[in-house]
Amino acid sequence: MIRSTFFGIACLVATNAVAGAVADTPKFDVHKSIVRITTTAQEPDYRVPWNPGSISTGIGAGFVIDGNRILTNAHVVSNGRFISVQRENDPRQYSGQVKFIAHDCDLAIVTVSDPNFFKTMHPLNFGPLPTIQSVVDVYGYPIGGERLSVTQGIVSRIDFESYSHSGADSHLAVQIDAAINPGNSGGPVLQNGKVVGIAFQGYSGDVAQNVGFMIPTPVIQRFLADIESGHYNRYVDLSIVPESLTNAAARQALGLPDDDTGVLVSSVESDACAAGKLEPGDVLLSIDGHRIISDQTVELDGENVDLAEVIERKLKGDKVKIDLLRNHQPLSVEVELEPNNSYLIQANIFDEYPRFVTFGGLVFQPLSRNLLEAFQIEDLRVRYFYNNFINEEIFKDHPQVILLSNILPDPVNAYLSEFRYQIVEQINGHKIRTLADVANAFDETSDFYTIKFVGASRPAVLQRSAVEEAKERIKDNYGVRLERNLGEETLR
Amino acid sequence: MKFLAFCQASLLFAISAIAAENPSPSPAGTPAVEARPSAAPKEHLATELKGGSVLRVNSTNQSYDFFRPWSKKAPSNRRGLGAVIDGGEVLVTAELVWDSNFIELEKPDTGERATAKVAVVDYETNLALLKPNNPDFLKELQPLDTSVAPKVGDHLSVVQLESNGTPVSTEALLTSAEVGHYVLDDYSYLLFKMSCPLQYRDNSFTLPIVQDHHLISMLLRYDPRSQTIEAISTPVIQHFLKEADHQPYQGFPSFGLSFSTTRDPQFRHYEKLSDSEGGIYVDDVEPDSPAAQADIQTGDILLSIGGKSVDPDGDYDDSQYGRLSITHFITTLSYTGQKVPVTLLRHGERKDVVVSLFHKPPQDYAIDPYVIGRPPRYLILGGLVFEELSRQYLREWGPSWQREAPQRFVYFDHYQADLFPKERKIVFLSQILPNNDTIGYPQLNYMAVERVNGQPIYRLEDLAKAMEKPINGFHKIEFDLDPKVMYLDAAKVQENAAALQKTYSLPAMRRF
Repeated sequence: MIRSTFFGIACLVATNAVAGAVADTPKFDVHKSIVRITTTAQEPDYRVPWNPGSISTGIGAGFVIDGNRILTNAHVVSNGRFISVQRENDPRQYSGQVKFIAHDCDLAIVTVSDPNFFKTMHPLNFGPLPTIQSVVDVYGYPIGGERLSVTQGIVSRIDFESYSHSGADSHLAVQIDAAINPGNSGGPVLQNGKVVGIAFQGYSGDVAQNVGFMIPTPVIQRFLADIESGHYNRYVDLSIVPESLTNAAARQALGLPDDDTGVLVSSVESDACAAGKLEPGDVLLSIDGHRIISDQTVELDGENVDLAEVIERKLKGDKVKIDLLRNHQPLSVEVELEPNNSYLIQANIFDEYPRFVTFGGLVFQPLSRNLLEAFQIEDLRVRYFYNNFINEEIFKDHPQVILLSNILPDPVNAYLSEFRYQIVEQINGHKIRTLADVANAFDETSDFYTIKFVGASRPAVLQRSAVEEAKERIKDNYGVRLERNLGEETLR
Repeated sequence: MKFLAFCQASLLFAISAIAAENPSPSPAGTPAVEARPSAAPKEHLATELKGGSVLRVNSTNQSYDFFRPWSKKAPSNRRGLGAVIDGGEVLVTAELVWDSNFIELEKPDTGERATAKVAVVDYETNLALLKPNNPDFLKELQPLDTSVAPKVGDHLSVVQLESNGTPVSTEALLTSAEVGHYVLDDYSYLLFKMSCPLQYRDNSFTLPIVQDHHLISMLLRYDPRSQTIEAISTPVIQHFLKEADHQPYQGFPSFGLSFSTTRDPQFRHYEKLSDSEGGIYVDDVEPDSPAAQADIQTGDILLSIGGKSVDPDGDYDDSQYGRLSITHFITTLSYTGQKVPVTLLRHGERKDVVVSLFHKPPQDYAIDPYVIGRPPRYLILGGLVFEELSRQYLREWGPSWQREAPQRFVYFDHYQADLFPKERKIVFLSQILPNNDTIGYPQLNYMAVERVNGQPIYRLEDLAKAMEKPINGFHKIEFDLDPKVMYLDAAKVQENAAALQKTYSLPAMRRF
């Protein structure tokens, strides 16, 4: 899949590191399980948000699992306008539909409506987390080719990794030394005839060689369990910042024994599920009965893993029980887990048209990762709001951070260029918390529209008569197909 | 050495030009090493200076290392020319003698040398007066007069010295005079721009620019590509010298406000401003500033200042240089201690106020805009190094510090007037020197300190005081970022202090 950001075409390197090692794979026909997915995607242009976007085609892999479903990576089908699915040794192309998509863990379920498609297909079953140093087989269509390709690799490391598709999530991932290239994405990684992972990302050749990553089964199983509700609810999160308690003075000052147990709560996000249940200063001792070790790990299945892994396996609405010390008093709390929303400002947006409002040639857009990257915004305050959205609780006053993102030059806005990339605080005295507030404020009838920006005293002023006179002119000049999109126009 | 002095000057050009107009610098104008002018420069022997009005000035400078505030960086040399002026003093740019340890004056004709010290320095306008330790050293020399200011279009002479000491002058055309950036960020004064094909010569870090027997200007930077000079203007030099006559030196005044233009007709209609009137919109007024003390408020429209009417762009009509930013009138044509009448519009009503001018020293800002000629303050507690945030510290990240330095601190610096209105400093953890007291803590840095042992921390002295009262034997240090709390064992910290000092060869555990 050419859009996979970690990949460079130049990183094609033969994997011969495991020559001689042979995976203990029973003979079965994997060709009956694997499909080739061709996606025609339309990527919106956040700089011209009313345009439908540029069209590109990419190729990835997928495989059949129970229930006539095809499992693949989210990034293989994101922003897809048309998806075609092909079987090995079958000349026909079938139209596919995305049934569920999880951008936070880069997984998706695709179905094919043609009932004959699955008849000869063989669904794959899932195996456990592979052990370090064991050998796995990687299937897919690297660099696009028509025929299935297979390579082998050794499991090098199992750890939390950043998932590049959303750019803002980290989950368990397995590092293998097989070369994973564009086109491998979505393909199964097999061991003993069972799926132990899905190939999903690697590094470009100039960063590291022979390093590929796969999504392991705990993450896949969680995704499949999540969508059983008929809807993908996303990962849940406690939304707290714990700190290690490994310094002797810190332990003594908090009156803790020298037993390597407990972590200190440094911050609790005030609009998330742990608010009101956990407090900064709490010492967390155990989670769902697992002792919390002072370096923020717990023992799970005989291994020390990040404390977050306990939460990672839960679904929306699940509860977690935490034993803690508050002001030296033992306490037990139960938190009903919810997905975190604030961090999404830093996550890539897919499958929706950019949201915007135009007025007098001024374009207003909510701050997002996509917007920041499209305009390469360097403004100090915008970057500060973006980077400190959670820890400075910017979301309280600005659930959406609305920017004057662009100015389409016209006499009506000739003197307003200095306001570009400023953050909107008020319009005609109305506090602006979301893009809808902007639309509503401009819908009011008023002789003057005064736009006040964060940290600026002088407002930008637009006279209604001048805006109305400029309206058609700007629309024609700049091909503004749509004056605003508040989110009504979505893809799925 | 020859080229180095020039490279430095042109590099500074690239940096400052960007800083002035764009907070995110990109490399522009790389210093051209062999930018020989294609046409033969108009050079001639500077006969008018034969009496010796120009001296070589060699300065050995050593600035503090703000990452290791207890030590200084490697010394470096700067060599430029100084102008002898009345009163037995030598005028140079302040940059030539920044953080200097040793200054030497050298007579070009005889090679005679004498040590000197800085008598008066103004880093904001980049000017300094040097006094030889032996007052007789300048006796035979003819001081240059500074009472004449040139007009745009005048031909001036940039003075250089041949290696044998012969003065050479290159003709420069004064092409414009406008308010522009000098050397430090945020400090702008009237700037002379000249076109001049200058050759590389020794001692060129700064050069005097003369007209007949008058000292007109001092070179700030030269861009060999476009062959343009930016130089300190005569009114600034005149103001500096006049101010330097009084002790203590008080500095150039300011109003302490920021303003926007009012050119936009829609904005003028909204504010009910007539088209014939000018005026600038007051954006922000610094607390306790001259403007604040005169009750100038955000939203006021300033119509005239000191009897000069201000147009919608913030310019006034200067008798010598035409349309100039009103800031020139305030900072340079007016003096600290003067009272300046201001006419303003507030909610459509005319109002007259009087602003008593004074200069705001860098120490009075929450984040010092510069720390030059004085050491950085610090305090080390149990291996935690605390400093007070200054732009000098941020500048340690190099020319593109605005992008490279910790963004949170760059933001603090940029918006300090909004973020820290009351008088305070930002005490922060700059690094941890790992030792037994910090085992188990991650390598933390760039975190602002909010409280220590329950006491709010507004300056290093507060921290020193709070340290004396540990809570139940522990120091509790609270930060603005995660991890929000750190603890240290007070007794152990004290016990281990000597060993820590020895291990890291720290000359002192604090300097205020």
